[in-house]
Amino acid sequence: MKHARRNNSTAKARTTITLPADSLKQAKQIARARKVNLSTVISEALENGLRMHRSAQRSEQVLDAYRKAFGGFSEEEVLLLDGIVLNNPGKRQ
Amino acid sequence: MVHPAFGPFLFDTSAESRIARSQNPAVKDWFAEYVALHPVHVSAITVMERVRGYALLARRATGRGRETVEAAQAAYLNELGHVYPVDTAVATVAGEIMALVPQPPTPPRRAHKLVESRQERLVRWRFDCIIAATALVTEMVLIHNNPADFESIRSAVEISPKRFPRLGPLGLIRCESRV
Repeated sequence: MKHARRNNSTAKARTTITLPADSLKQAKQIARARKVNLSTVISEALENGLRMHRSAQRSEQVLDAYRKAFGGFSEEEVLLLDGIVLNNPGKRQ
Repeated sequence: MVHPAFGPFLFDTSAESRIARSQNPAVKDWFAEYVALHPVHVSAITVMERVRGYALLARRATGRGRETVEAAQAAYLNELGHVYPVDTAVATVAGEIMALVPQPPTPPRRAHKLVESRQERLVRWRFDCIIAATALVTEMVLIHNNPADFESIRSAVEISPKRFPRLGPLGLIRCESRV
């Protein structure tokens, strides 16, 4: 499709940011070496950073759920959660 | 030590809870890195064993204890990763394993004065066969906490390749080596 409407992930916006001088210098060197513009290099670096951030957030969310799912139980209770049902043989259940 | 990047892995029921509860910093770091990279993959059998366990605990509890168990179950189910169903392929492979190793390789579990019934032990063995079959069909390495049982299944698959065409070997990682 020639005139595809841009969705939010591909839409671009202009902004002004302040970067550490050394990082900016490195980004310019990378851009020159790859023959792409500076915006491309900065965008890729930002996207990678955001992906790592999302990944860490997701990780924390899952770990928190596991803490709630298994944290408050005794070893014997966890056996039950693992599908191991122990009974007192002398006692009718 | 297997790096999480080599995953995803299939987690056996007890391995999942053991790793999640571990206080060993190396295991905690490994699991944090793992869940940052992959969902936790389990069989539907693990979900069934887990929900049965929560339900039995909830029946024994009263008042706030029951609410705690229900909250724990909700936390588990809400953040479930990838759950593999027991489909025709898994059922076929599991049936072959159960025919080759009809009885559990290890005796019923005991703890203090409590003991697992023979019937419960047989059922749990068959669930392990289904979980191992899931690992074989999906070509995933199985993280487990039960070497005697799963090594028996691995051997059975290896010595009967005609019963498992284009499948195997069963890849195993014992979570003890991680914990």
